Amino acid sequence: MKMLSDYIKSLAMLELLKGLRVTGGYMFKKKFTVQYPEEKAPISPRFRGLHALRRYENGEERCIACKLCEATCPAAAITIEVSPPLPDGSRRTSRYDIDLFKCIFCGYCQEACPVDAIVETPIYEYHFENRVDAVMTKSKLLEVGDKHEAELAACIHADGKYR
Amino acid sequence: MSEDQTITIEIDGKAIQAAPGQMLIEVTDAAGIDIPRFCYHKKLSVSANCRMCLVEVERAPKPLPACATPVNDGMKVFTRSPIALAAQKGTMEFLLINHPLDCPICDQGGECELQDISMGYGSDISRFVEGKRIVKDKDIGPLITTDLTRCIHCTRCVRFGAEIAGIRELGATGRGEHMTIGTYIEKSVDSELSGNIIDVCPVGSLTSKPSQFKARAWEMLQRDTIAPHDSVGSNIHVHVRRNELIRVHPKDNESINECWISDRDRFSYEGVYSDDRLTTPMIKSNGEWRNASWDEALAMVVTGLKNAGADIGALLSPNATVEELYLAQKLIKSLGSERIDSRLRQGDFRGEAPSYPWLGQSIESLEKVDAALLVGSSIRKEQPMLAHRLRKAALEGAQISFINPLELDLNYAAQQLVTTPAGMITELACVAKAAGANGDLIDQAEVTEVHKLLAEKLKGAANGALLLGNLATAHADYSIIRSLATAIATACDLKLGYLPEASNSIGAHLVGAVASTGNDAQAMLETACKGYLLMGIEPGLDLWNPAKAANAFEQADFVVALTAFRSANLEAAADVLLPMALFVETSGSFVNAEGTLQSFAGVITPSGNTRPAWKILRVLGNLLEVPGFDYVDTTEVLAEITQATSALVPNNAVSNQVASTEVRTAKNGLQRIGDVPIYALDPLVRHARSLQKTHDAIPAGVYLNAEEAGKLGVTEGDNTVVVQDQVRIQLPLFIDPNVPNGCARIPAALAGVEQLGAQFGEVTLEKV
Amino acid sequence: MGFKNLPMTTVKPTENKESLFSEKVRAEIDTWVAKYPEGWQQSAVMAALRIVQDDNAGYLTQELMDQVAAYLDMPPIAVYEVATFYSMYEHKKVGKHKVCVCTNVSCMINGSDKIVDHMEKKLGIKLGEVTEDGKYSLKEVECLGACGGAPMFQIGTKYYENLTPELVDSILDGLE
Repeated sequence: MKMLSDYIKSLAMLELLKGLRVTGGYMFKKKFTVQYPEEKAPISPRFRGLHALRRYENGEERCIACKLCEATCPAAAITIEVSPPLPDGSRRTSRYDIDLFKCIFCGYCQEACPVDAIVETPIYEYHFENRVDAVMTKSKLLEVGDKHEAELAACIHADGKYR
Repeated sequence: MSEDQTITIEIDGKAIQAAPGQMLIEVTDAAGIDIPRFCYHKKLSVSANCRMCLVEVERAPKPLPACATPVNDGMKVFTRSPIALAAQKGTMEFLLINHPLDCPICDQGGECELQDISMGYGSDISRFVEGKRIVKDKDIGPLITTDLTRCIHCTRCVRFGAEIAGIRELGATGRGEHMTIGTYIEKSVDSELSGNIIDVCPVGSLTSKPSQFKARAWEMLQRDTIAPHDSVGSNIHVHVRRNELIRVHPKDNESINECWISDRDRFSYEGVYSDDRLTTPMIKSNGEWRNASWDEALAMVVTGLKNAGADIGALLSPNATVEELYLAQKLIKSLGSERIDSRLRQGDFRGEAPSYPWLGQSIESLEKVDAALLVGSSIRKEQPMLAHRLRKAALEGAQISFINPLELDLNYAAQQLVTTPAGMITELACVAKAAGANGDLIDQAEVTEVHKLLAEKLKGAANGALLLGNLATAHADYSIIRSLATAIATACDLKLGYLPEASNSIGAHLVGAVASTGNDAQAMLETACKGYLLMGIEPGLDLWNPAKAANAFEQADFVVALTAFRSANLEAAADVLLPMALFVETSGSFVNAEGTLQSFAGVITPSGNTRPAWKILRVLGNLLEVPGFDYVDTTEVLAEITQATSALVPNNAVSNQVASTEVRTAKNGLQRIGDVPIYALDPLVRHARSLQKTHDAIPAGVYLNAEEAGKLGVTEGDNTVVVQDQVRIQLPLFIDPNVPNGCARIPAALAGVEQLGAQFGEVTLEKV
Repeated sequence: MGFKNLPMTTVKPTENKESLFSEKVRAEIDTWVAKYPEGWQQSAVMAALRIVQDDNAGYLTQELMDQVAAYLDMPPIAVYEVATFYSMYEHKKVGKHKVCVCTNVSCMINGSDKIVDHMEKKLGIKLGEVTEDGKYSLKEVECLGACGGAPMFQIGTKYYENLTPELVDSILDGLE
């Protein structure tokens, strides 16, 4: 008896209609997907994207080559060389490399930095065409920093009160 | 209470034995209980000015500084009680109010006592909101950087200068917040031990200038080795970052270097990175030098050595390791030659030489002598660490006397008989006669009151020493000085000792890298050999008579040099240069002045295409098909040496008779004093950049006293022509009141005097 | 600061001390040296510095300190330490009359600020300066132990207490 009623129900394609009801329901509901790249999701000021080295307002590099980021980096992605003391006695890097293939974007470098020099920017759209390009050299890091300084300062300011 | 009594005190509930009169901190240190401290240092006097070591003592109304509180029987001490901890926390807060928070750029960051103790005993927040003080940095020379804003006024450096270095150069001027450490006037700190203030400084105020900003503390690996210059064999820690030497620190060894090292041992590592470093084999063909492969160079050396055969002479650096010297002598002997020597700056090889000369006592016992006579030794510059031991003895009341051709700037009161080279022999003979010895020279001596007093002092000593230094060794009548010294030592019951010039001068005797008379370093240059093997030397600077050496090398068919550095002088002499690794790049052993053999391993890989000398010699042995040259490492070589020399013990004895050898030094005429300045001792230190900028790195020149200069009609800064054995060179003149009449100090081993003759001998000066 | 072993003295005593200072100054220093045991002449350093300072119009120079060091066989730095520690030693030219005005608590409560202001205006100099004619110099000092007569200042060896601007005028004008 049960077999018969099931057979008749299947001829009526009730399952299909049930399923279509769910589909039809969502068709008119509010959408959650973001149409990337036309649309972008909002991100927190703490977002940990591509790295940058910042400068002070007068153009002086912030980084003092203390190597705390190098020491704290769990992936050993940072390599720093210190230049001999400059004429004014200041301490600067002669090399600052971040290997983005090694980097795990944990943000410890930014946490360790006593002068807010190395930061992880909100930038997450970048690519490399050669393997060597994955090493962010000092000049590249400074370039990123120079380009986005206003945004970076705003992020740090926004996050400041929670630190 | 007698000295050997012990008392019992209770520290943190534990009963601990202590000796009366000990300070609390010494007892806790021995028991392994941590008490934080900044100003206290075990080798320095107690000043109790940092107040960090405050502890609670029962029945004391306030916490007491552990470094300045003597122990008492039954005393109860609490190092971690709330009162003690509060006191320490309070002190820490005060110490930090003026300390800049510049740890990220401070070279001490990561190994800083202030950081460590602040973490352990301090608070995490400061209530000090006022402005911090800033102190202008001072320039105190090429070795030490100052950053006095970081200073916490522990005065360790000041006390080090006064008590250990023996020169009060640093001081604390001003009061209260205005107190600063410095020299007050702009001047450099010129002690030969000055580098130690880097170590005693608990913060980053005094740091090493050559290694400034080179590495952070956590990046470096610490390896142990032995210092390669003087004959003390100071134990050192070498700090290495990515196969690069960053700095050298002392390693505690109470019986050798205590916890100090000399500046020469500390900063000479810079020579490893000299621009003159030879990194690839080189061959001279048709008078032109060209790079060559190892195979090519070695093949040429083998042919050269084979051609020279038994007529080969080997001049080996006394700074080479025991293993290198052993292999070199084995190689040369296998060719049938006996001409091997490492006593390169010895002036006289006549008479019987001691079989295995040494200090005559342990280094530690040197500070227990109650009288000492030093002959021909500028000890502070030759052996800074031994000088420190002797100074300790002198401060305890030991009578130290010198017979020297130069007056020394000493850091303790001592009697100095300053005389000409010929006068040294006369003085010694007089002292010997006053002491009751007999002999040819002694009998003719005219004794004065001075000699009688000196002989009496030496005779009266229960623990006396007679030490022969480098200026005695280089003396043209060394054998006479030695036998006179032996006579005095026997007559006065003194321990006769030698202050060997280099790190392995004694090891050379152990392995037979010294020749018998007739085959010695002088003889093999007097009559030229067919071939020469030079190891680790620059012939113009490391030999007693460079002029004669240059001559001999010119006549020789073939000269091969194992060397770490290129120099014009060496290139003129040699036909093949084989690049040799330096002390940090090779393993080996040194035998120090007291006869202790200390082995060490390599610290960094050899630069460029250089090879450790023992490997080069081993391959040469293989190529020459000498049997028994299949060593895998230096320990195998050392095992063979130990087996072969187990019967050999240090022995200074020579037959005690003053040989009637004629005195070669003329009584009249101007005599050259060719001392070796402290930073010119060996090729490595000569290439150490920062040391060469210090005041002790004196320029080549003629140093005369004002009277002699007046006679010649020249003044400071003038150029003079020096004539020695028909060689004429021009040198600038300096007035030096420490040079006696009848003498001209023309230091050897400096660039500019390579052409001159013997270190001691007659010279004439001419006005330009 | 005490040292474990001697050398507050130099190893080589200075020869021909007669070339240092005038005979009068030497004699005066010697009376102080004589008060200490043999070999402890450096104990007289404070007196020697004072004598030399008085002889040199009230201030010390580095040469003078070096000479004191040589005269007493001390390392120069030990003399610099003493001379910079105590406030009564001057290292710069001072006026003929050095007015040492106390600004410590008791004097401050009793109006030393007013006294200082008045003098600064009257003499046209700030604390620590010398008048152009070299007659007066002003110096701020810590408590001179005369709180009972606050506010006060010291000129030469004399204390002047219970100061008022009028009194200050008459004192300063009354000086030679």
